[in-house]
Amino acid sequence: MSAQDEGRAGDASLRLLAAGERELQRIVLDMHDGPVQDVFAAVSHLQVLQRELADRPASARRAGQAVLLLERALGEVRTLIGVFRPPGFERRGLGPILEGLTVQHETMTDQPVELTMDADIGDCALPTKIALYRILQEALANGFRHAHATRQTVSVERRGDQLSVTVTDNGRGFDPPPVLAAEADVGVEGGHFGLRGIQDRVAMLGGTFSLDSSPGQGTVLRVSVPAVL
Amino acid sequence: MSEQKIRVILADDHAIVLEGLRALLESEPDMEVAASTVDGHEVVALVERISPDVVVLDYELGGVRATDIIGVLRDRPEAPRVLVLTAYHDGETIRSVLESGAEGLALKTASPQQTLAAIRQVVNGQLVFPQAARRWLEARGSRSGADELTTREREVWALFAEGLTNVQVAARLTLSENTVKFHVQHLFQKLGVKNRTEAALRHGAAPRPPGGARR
Repeated sequence: MSAQDEGRAGDASLRLLAAGERELQRIVLDMHDGPVQDVFAAVSHLQVLQRELADRPASARRAGQAVLLLERALGEVRTLIGVFRPPGFERRGLGPILEGLTVQHETMTDQPVELTMDADIGDCALPTKIALYRILQEALANGFRHAHATRQTVSVERRGDQLSVTVTDNGRGFDPPPVLAAEADVGVEGGHFGLRGIQDRVAMLGGTFSLDSSPGQGTVLRVSVPAVL
Repeated sequence: MSEQKIRVILADDHAIVLEGLRALLESEPDMEVAASTVDGHEVVALVERISPDVVVLDYELGGVRATDIIGVLRDRPEAPRVLVLTAYHDGETIRSVLESGAEGLALKTASPQQTLAAIRQVVNGQLVFPQAARRWLEARGSRSGADELTTREREVWALFAEGLTNVQVAARLTLSENTVKFHVQHLFQKLGVKNRTEAALRHGAAPRPPGGARR
């Protein structure tokens, strides 16, 4: 493949990235306009029914079970929407998007995230913005879900045209080489740490990735990518 | 408040949600649905006619944003408490609801019982937002104008934080409503806030005046 061909393939990958986010947006909207409204309304009616059945305990219990199942479904939709809904990449700057993400993570997990970001972080190319958002989302989720961290810090810096994001946690840590090796085989769907996905996103932008962790210690993940492509 | 029912206006462009919530609220002993609408343009007129205790507003009402409706309601002398109902709990949504001056946010992706609980909470003067969002706003508003406040302004501020309306503040401090409005204007200016919600949130983060807030 010539350098020119590689350049074209790279451009296509970056365009696909944005197209993928638009597709996610559409799916989330469909979930919002359909199932969310229907299930919320159904639970409201069922809760009324449950009360009206007070003198028929077996039936009331059955209605109660249906309520619990539907509430669980709503909870799952809440998580899906939270994870997949793009935060308005095309109309919002990098700073507000990353700040909003940390707030959302805190809301979903009830755990604090300490965010430090240069005041003049500025904006960046769309693919960079998408990559940094998805990388930070994955890193925060990893720290919470897998490392059982109770405290996470995020630092966002800009040095010239380079943007770097560092995510640190106080979780149980792990041994990076085996995890990364396993991921090369099973990919993101293998229930592993999604580190492979992070590395792929960084590689697509020509950035750098580093991971510092060991069992019993916390984890420091750092990525650095070009702001302008 | 305990004997009188909470009068609620429901506004949501999903008719099935309105129907479900109406049934649920009407089955509660302490609530009644005074009106409901699927049309965002109707909300302000309904509020003026009915003077409800609470308006439950869908975040997006067929092209009309809840935050814009709240902006109009906030300019009325006796604005009702507003609870925004949304399926989204991302930072931007929470932030825009907070900054619009709404008293709370409830999720359509959580149990409708939580919406009922939130209605009661905002009526009792509480602000109902995720903890993460409250800290966020407090941090944003931490530049202090609080040092310049007069004793009277501090008193008004403390009562706002308890959830009192202008009329209730006036009664508590035995002032006229116009005088309270005057203090409120200065309070907002000095604190650099746009509305009661922001002022109340700032109060939680601010140092107490000497001797604490008088009741």
